[in-house]
Amino acid sequence: MKVGDQLPEFVVPSVDPARMKTMAAVLRDPYRVHWDREATREMGLEGRVINQGPLNLSYIVNMLHSYSGPTSVRRLTVTFGQPVFDTDSVVAGGEISAIDSDRATCAVWLKRGDEIVVSGTAVIDVAHLH
Amino acid sequence: MTVVSPLGYRFPGGTYTIAHWENWLLTDCTTAEPLPDDLAHPVALFHVPILGAGTSITTLFEVCGAEGPGSVGLDGYDWEYMRPLRIGVEYRMEGGIVRWEQLVDERGNPYDSMSFSIEMFDAEGLAARITNTWRFRRRKPEGVTGATS
Repeated sequence: MKVGDQLPEFVVPSVDPARMKTMAAVLRDPYRVHWDREATREMGLEGRVINQGPLNLSYIVNMLHSYSGPTSVRRLTVTFGQPVFDTDSVVAGGEISAIDSDRATCAVWLKRGDEIVVSGTAVIDVAHLH
Repeated sequence: MTVVSPLGYRFPGGTYTIAHWENWLLTDCTTAEPLPDDLAHPVALFHVPILGAGTSITTLFEVCGAEGPGSVGLDGYDWEYMRPLRIGVEYRMEGGIVRWEQLVDERGNPYDSMSFSIEMFDAEGLAARITNTWRFRRRKPEGVTGATS
């Protein structure tokens, strides 16, 4: 493991609107844009519903888990740039930017094609990877 | 629309225990398999602090004057985990609204930027801490011209 290493990508081939409905129920999220196509028609988005921010972030978390394991995430600091819509294909990725003892800091992102829709940094515990 | 600043608004506080069923559904929504050893998916750090602090997304929208579809946006999250979250552990939460700024976006449209922070404790002490920043878009006052979203 070294600075500059790429983390294995996590691919979501098609964001599923049914999962957004379940997520809205779990989160108790009343924001209609996640489950009511009429709400996004009102916004001029042709009825495509918008994925929840936590779900976009979850793809990055799943990417981190596949690299460093299910107890490794210590900090997530992210900015949401663009909305993700149902049926979008997105890919989570990352790169190690610093290593300090048992912790690694990674640049992380979620991309739709070449467009970055979420970006930020993650700190992960890598003690078991040494 | 001008909203009275909610800066300093404190949540009632309370406790929350992540249930197996909700973690299962949450994890399924992420397209992943359930984690081992009663681990909760880290993205539970969105709804668990909010509900555990005795508030809700609905209440936050009301306090901040959300105006309907398209009026609320996410700007960012800063989530810290002192240890992994687990199903069946009772967490105690406390927090409130820590930042409120009236801003204008690159197109000249007004919005309010709000940050809230919540700390989450288990029997060992601080277990996790979040700061989330949301954007509440406002309509321009009548007579103001310029680009609109």
